[in-house]
Amino acid sequence: MALSRVMRFGLRMTSFPLLLSCVLLVSQVCSVSRDNFKRCDQSGFCKRHRAVDPGHSPYISLFDTLDIQPSQISVELLNTKNNVRLRLELFGLQHQTTRIKINEVNPLKPRYEIPVGDVLNAEPQQDTLTVVEKNDDHITLSLEKSIIVLNREPFRIDFINDDEPTVSINAQGLLKFEHLRKKKEDSQEKKEENEEEKASCAEEEVQEEDEPDMWEETFKSFHDSKPNGPTSVGLDVSFPGFEHVYGIPEHAESMALKSTKSSDPYRLFNLDVFEYELYNPMALYGAVPVMLAHNEKRTVGIFWHNAAETWVDIASNVADKTFFSKMADLVKGSTELPQTDTHWFSESGIIDLFIMLGPEPSDVFSQYGQLTGTTPIPPLFGIAYHQCRWNYNDEDDIRNVDAKFDEYDLPMDLLWLDIEHTDGKRYFTWDGSKFSHPDEMVKNLTVKGRKLVTIVDPHLKKDDSYSVYSEAKSQNHLVKNKDGSEYEGWCWPGSSGWPDFLNPEVRKWWASKFAYSSYAGSSKDLHVWNDMNEPSVFNGPEVTFQKDVLHYGGWENRDVHNLYGFYVHKATMDGLLERTGGEERPFLLTRAFFAGSQKFGAVWTGDNMASWDHLKISNPMILSLNLVGITFSGADVGGFFHNPDAELVTRWYQAGAFQPFFRAHAHLDTKRREPHLLPNANMLAIRDALQQRYSYLPYWYTLFYWGERNGGPVMMPLWVEFPKDKSTFSMDDQFMIGKALLVKPITEQGSTGTNVYFPGNDLWYDVESFQTYNGGDTTYVRAGLTKIPVFQRGGTIIPRKMRNRRSSTLMKSDPFTLFICLNREGEATGNLFIDDYHSYNYKNGKYILKGFNFRKNVLESVTGHKDYQTDEWIEKIVISGFQVQPSIAILKGSVSGQKELEVNYDIVEDNIIIRKPGVNIAENFKLILQP
Amino acid sequence: MQNLFVFVVLSISGVWATVPRPRGVSISMASFYTPGEKFRCLDGSRTIPYEHLNDDYCDCQDGSDEPGTAACPTGRFHCTNAGYKPGTVKSSRVNDGVCDCCDGTDEYSGLIECVNNCKELGKKMREEQQRVRLLQEQGYKTKLEQINEGRKKREEKKAMVEALEKSKIQLETLRNEKEAKKQEVEEPETEAKDKHKQQWEEVKAQREAQAENERINEAFIKLDANKDNIVDIAEIMAHSEFDINSDGEVSVEEAKEHLEDAEQTDPAYFAEKVWPHIKDLFKKEEKEVEDPGAEEPKVPEVMDNPDYDEDEEEEHDEDEHDDEDEGDHDPYTDDHEHPDELPLEEENKKGDQEMPEYDEETKKLIEVADAARAEFNEADSKLKDAEKELNDLKSYLNGDYGPDEEFSTMKDQCYEYTDREYTYKLCPFDRATQRPKGGGSETRLGSWGHWAGPETNIYSAQKYEKGQNCWNGPDRSVRVDMTCGLENMLTNTYEPSRCEYVFEFSTPSLCTPVPADSTRDEL
Repeated sequence: MALSRVMRFGLRMTSFPLLLSCVLLVSQVCSVSRDNFKRCDQSGFCKRHRAVDPGHSPYISLFDTLDIQPSQISVELLNTKNNVRLRLELFGLQHQTTRIKINEVNPLKPRYEIPVGDVLNAEPQQDTLTVVEKNDDHITLSLEKSIIVLNREPFRIDFINDDEPTVSINAQGLLKFEHLRKKKEDSQEKKEENEEEKASCAEEEVQEEDEPDMWEETFKSFHDSKPNGPTSVGLDVSFPGFEHVYGIPEHAESMALKSTKSSDPYRLFNLDVFEYELYNPMALYGAVPVMLAHNEKRTVGIFWHNAAETWVDIASNVADKTFFSKMADLVKGSTELPQTDTHWFSESGIIDLFIMLGPEPSDVFSQYGQLTGTTPIPPLFGIAYHQCRWNYNDEDDIRNVDAKFDEYDLPMDLLWLDIEHTDGKRYFTWDGSKFSHPDEMVKNLTVKGRKLVTIVDPHLKKDDSYSVYSEAKSQNHLVKNKDGSEYEGWCWPGSSGWPDFLNPEVRKWWASKFAYSSYAGSSKDLHVWNDMNEPSVFNGPEVTFQKDVLHYGGWENRDVHNLYGFYVHKATMDGLLERTGGEERPFLLTRAFFAGSQKFGAVWTGDNMASWDHLKISNPMILSLNLVGITFSGADVGGFFHNPDAELVTRWYQAGAFQPFFRAHAHLDTKRREPHLLPNANMLAIRDALQQRYSYLPYWYTLFYWGERNGGPVMMPLWVEFPKDKSTFSMDDQFMIGKALLVKPITEQGSTGTNVYFPGNDLWYDVESFQTYNGGDTTYVRAGLTKIPVFQRGGTIIPRKMRNRRSSTLMKSDPFTLFICLNREGEATGNLFIDDYHSYNYKNGKYILKGFNFRKNVLESVTGHKDYQTDEWIEKIVISGFQVQPSIAILKGSVSGQKELEVNYDIVEDNIIIRKPGVNIAENFKLILQP
Repeated sequence: MQNLFVFVVLSISGVWATVPRPRGVSISMASFYTPGEKFRCLDGSRTIPYEHLNDDYCDCQDGSDEPGTAACPTGRFHCTNAGYKPGTVKSSRVNDGVCDCCDGTDEYSGLIECVNNCKELGKKMREEQQRVRLLQEQGYKTKLEQINEGRKKREEKKAMVEALEKSKIQLETLRNEKEAKKQEVEEPETEAKDKHKQQWEEVKAQREAQAENERINEAFIKLDANKDNIVDIAEIMAHSEFDINSDGEVSVEEAKEHLEDAEQTDPAYFAEKVWPHIKDLFKKEEKEVEDPGAEEPKVPEVMDNPDYDEDEEEEHDEDEHDDEDEGDHDPYTDDHEHPDELPLEEENKKGDQEMPEYDEETKKLIEVADAARAEFNEADSKLKDAEKELNDLKSYLNGDYGPDEEFSTMKDQCYEYTDREYTYKLCPFDRATQRPKGGGSETRLGSWGHWAGPETNIYSAQKYEKGQNCWNGPDRSVRVDMTCGLENMLTNTYEPSRCEYVFEFSTPSLCTPVPADSTRDEL
């Protein structure tokens, strides 16, 4: 929920002058929301880094300081303009990964580094670096299959794979490291000092002229005191041979990133942006400074491990070509290799860069997963359907919505309560008159396998009788002003304080608030949602903390800003784990995030709008998140602000049914739009979409299993599966769910069909009609209001559950139907992960992993792992793509023995249907088909 | 897998009988499921072996082969619910771990142990039915009264309309007569008054001329400091108000200019040439002398105050809602009345200059005209009253108070309901409002719109529309859901979407007669 609430908030205020000022604020917000947020030319360090002259790097590597260890080397870098020395450390890491750290040799005081164990899972494991060659100009190292060349003058590092350069550091010479310095008190002194220094020693640090905004900065009415002066760091990273780069969410932007030559750089600075605009580089709620580059030969990635405000410029020799040079290429034939140059700069901290060298997309995903962790398998209900609204008013309201879903046979797993459920926006409490029996309310949901989610935001109402606040205050747990006094800002409850989540002790304290004894009305069936954790501060600069606000360890918000929401999320997850002693998998959603947030649960794209273009952009936004590890992500179905018409809601449900996190949500000022309130045709189409989602839950669940194990997206661009198919590299209106499903949601108003590109060489099967399409073709597919264009890839087997229950929990023991879509060779494979769907027992091996292979008319079910008992069985097998129809099916079960099964032919769908194999899903069997 | 059959023991008209039939099938459908014979799907689509019935695999598209399992997406499961009413649930409710039938027969796979609570439910249901029946019966009695009353009201109003239409014609005639009479006597009256006024204007003009002469003389005397009956340049220079360029002194040139280039002036020349040009300057001077505080910005001061006071007052209001201290309002009121008083006082000063009374003849004419006017006004207002009454009656008769006028008794009534924060008020066929419980102004949630029930039962809901606009949202509106109750009463209110309210209203008008044996056939 965004700043828009300021308006409501304003209107609730009582005294006249305040009301007036809020109304003024409101009109500002409404008309020029963009102006509330900084452009590059309003940010001192952004301007300074963009002004660096390329091609004239003042840095040289001082080879006499070289220190070579088995898996790391270190060397000093000298800035020949000011004689400041930096230390470069280069680490060889396992899994084709390299880490480069650059810091001052002698900083005036320490510079911020993100603690290991939070974002990074652990200190990354090192791998052997071998010196291949060393001379006066450069040093050549090898790491597994990669060659790394460190150049002396100017300083530069090149990564070479298969004799081709893949990543270059400081190739453009944009390295700029603003060393810590003392403020020159006045110009007179400065001169004297300078002269003195020059006289004393020529090699000492050369004082540079101050540039504007180095020691203080003002944005709108906000003053940033900058007590440490300029502290920013920046570096360029080039990707020779790559035309496309991806990632660095969160932006309302296409999946393939654009050249920023004629715009601001992409900005990474967690902010609560009211009614955000589409297709621009403005910062949004979260920041993952991870970028992937992909071409037909390989995929590489980099991770800029810095929590400060960061901007990224992108230039491409392809995208930035003028019309005339493109024409010239056409005539002469271009011999120039495509190249993407990126330029990263952060306001403080150090340079800490991970380079992940692939070469396959899946390699980069697992390399990144090794560093920051992967998304743990959500509880099954977490990937089912969530019904939210700001707000369900009271217990009757919740009961009624719950009943309506049953009445209309709409499956649903969770009902959500937004801020109004609390006692005056005091989180962990209930509005006693509206929610006087939370336990009973939750129980009414759990009998049907449903759960409740309540919101817990990080701002604490300044009210000494509110125990969470008074405890935080008395235990000195709150964020401070630069003078050490308690920081105060405005949010939903009015005047508020913010716990200092950077402090491990504060996180422990926060986690303890989720104990059943502490959070009255909570239980294992109550799950949580963290909102406003950028943090959102209504009266702060850019609606957040001042940069000079102080956190744990005396670090400024400037140093750690993008981590605040990450730690709110982490501390909340810690609390939810502790309350069951680590037995139950909780569901947890966050709006703000950073690299590594995937470890703690789901992320959504914030306060979007009920418009077709917002529906459309949900796909690239979720794809971008998936590419950088935030795989459990989604957008508000229906759009948060404004009222969607029935068609838009319907199409949005259809898209959401095939996105990882599937939740409908709506603003307080909007009309109710639960599916049963829509016209019958729309309600039926939505029911169908929901039932499709539920039928594919075993497939989604298995994808999340692989995601936890290997890293990598569940919803992904086509190029991840078809890395050599250039036409897919910037395609973001259709995508894959796992390896087997191709989805192209309808995102155009009034559409009755769409052109679908079918990648690869094989067949694609419409999942409803089983009509086939040829890979390599773009084909128009009809899609009336009830149709979601979803296609199963030839050569795959997907286990589904086809019985429509009220919630996923009630499907626990239901049988599977295997959908086998054969490729041209008459083969198919698939797999399935099963456990108890809710606990961490799978970590102790309590799960079943099945593999299914269909080859030469025989389906074989084999066990990859089995240490779990289940009632689930196979009720049906549907096989599409037979050349010659079989008529006999013999099942040979390892336990149940041999039996002949009935084979039916579905003439409409051109499928054969094997009637009731009846074997337990865990049992190994062979199904032999004969003519 | 699971048992195909259930043997259900039933009590039908006192005879014990055992009817074997597949699980989930009602007695009435049992004959379609003959043991040992092939089963034909009820939609006729295909025929399957009897063993495939209820084998947890869906063979028939209509779901008829799996009445007792969850295998078919379109199937229905029948529960006998002995002691309560029999029911069907969707097949997807079978063996899902939730007890949906009160006899628990929908859960037989062992996922959950269901308690058979049909007897309890049956008892409750019968009690509820009894309660509803009583309610309906009693309510219906009231409804009949309401119908009578409503019909009577309509008839009465109709009769009143007829009567009023007639008397309206008479009243119109009377009014027109009186109007003619009035015009007749007003003509000489106006003439006489105009004449009197004209004479008075002339007198006033004379007086004014005389007064002006006096002022000239006075001024001359004042300026003629040496009393030689001549005003010269030096005497002019002694009066600072003649400082044209405001340099602090009156120069010779300035003085000359005031004397119209003469060196001096006698009273005649002064009156004719000099006075018209210096009149305004001189007057100003006089005023300044008389009222030295005149230029002080009194008015702005007054304007500043209410703002300040208003603020204070508002805050005061927030804190103590009911404390409408009159003293608080004083500055506010002063602000408004003060400017009005000033002209009033001035007029009073001029009291001696008022027009003299009319002569006796005119007075008589006025008296006659006044009488005629009074008579006309009386006739006219009687007609207007009649017209208004007629309009009211017609608007009532145009209203839709239900097929039998049963809702008419709630017209012109208001019903209130108070929740934690607000008191809601519904005045049927007029408006719906809300006001904060602690005091404060009323918000209009909607004005009477139309009946809004579903087509089959349009009189079960009302819509009130076009209430006050919500900030950044729609106009407020209210749907009133009506149900049978013993009296007209607002029973609940809520706001499911922002500014879209729902009121629950009970009324005998929606009670219906209950057939005597309606509870029996439920068993």
